[in-house]
Amino acid sequence: MENKNGFIKEINENQGLIFKIASIYTNSIEDRNDLMQEIVYQLWKSFHTFDKRSSVSTWMYRVAMNVAIYYLKSAKKKVQTIPMEEQFLHFTEIENKEMEEKWQVLKHHIDKLNLLDKGIIILYLENKSHEEIAQIIGISVSNVGTKFYRIKEKLKQQILKQ
Amino acid sequence: MELDDIKKTWDEMSIQVKEKQNLNLKIFDNMSKRKFHSHLNKIIVPEILGSAVCIGSAVFIGFNFYRLDTISFQIVGVLAILLFVIICVLSLMSIQHLYKAGDINKPYADTLKKFAIEKIKFCKLQKLNLTLSYLLLVTVILLLTRLFGRNEITDSKYFWIFSFSIGYIFLVFFSKFVYKSYNKTIRETENLLNELSN
Repeated sequence: MENKNGFIKEINENQGLIFKIASIYTNSIEDRNDLMQEIVYQLWKSFHTFDKRSSVSTWMYRVAMNVAIYYLKSAKKKVQTIPMEEQFLHFTEIENKEMEEKWQVLKHHIDKLNLLDKGIIILYLENKSHEEIAQIIGISVSNVGTKFYRIKEKLKQQILKQ
Repeated sequence: MELDDIKKTWDEMSIQVKEKQNLNLKIFDNMSKRKFHSHLNKIIVPEILGSAVCIGSAVFIGFNFYRLDTISFQIVGVLAILLFVIICVLSLMSIQHLYKAGDINKPYADTLKKFAIEKIKFCKLQKLNLTLSYLLLVTVILLLTRLFGRNEITDSKYFWIFSFSIGYIFLVFFSKFVYKSYNKTIRETENLLNELSN
């Protein structure tokens, strides 16, 4: 029980992270909610294996982004979805219309990146250092720097094209 | 919108979602329970049905094999049975990997690499499956005349003209579209793999 309470506390503290990742990797509210639930479920399943060598948020980013990839694999073949708990679902609604519009523009730009770049830019936007990004993604710090430079250029080009 | 604006929007969203903490023990228990039950029901209905139709068709041809009165029809019959079985196996193989969950604690790049390799395999298998389906269509049209007995329709020369020409036109357009889409996916995924290995 203590374990479960600890887990719920961590989820509540990091649920923004889950929302943003689920939102970036999916294209509909239904899919986003399914993915959010899947991430929470998978985080719970592997909570006991978390060895505290890295921070909870670093572990959560890694699991959430991996689950997002597995979700992409099976989403098109999915035949059953589970209704998400209403109360948990409630926090995922973006209440401000202007914010919703801005979020959609942001998503539009990030969607054009490939999955690797997408992962790196999410972590950059979350204010992660190059070392933390390297740890979560599993590439070298210098590689993060190079890729990040290229992503910035790609985004600039995309924005200019519009 | 510039990169700074993207960052600003992201930060604003972070503030908005941080304010809400809705998960409690009761909600979490309900979510876990439902999730557990869903795993018991994880059956891929269309694939199972498709495979059942393939196997059923192969069995049907097998039972009616005696109707195939010439050696050439018997060869076509054997070919059709083989194609039904191969297509069924390929279809199941190509979807099997979709439900294999990997180690979610691995670095993101490892998961992406695995994902990319499986995606390429999936597309190639689907392309092969499609090619075999064309061949199957031809064999099935040929067998129709024997399996359901000779009649006015199958004896008519128009039956052959229409069935083959319509089938061929359909296949040309359909395959063009499908191959184009699979080739694009394979190309993009290979690029991702290259980037991952750099």
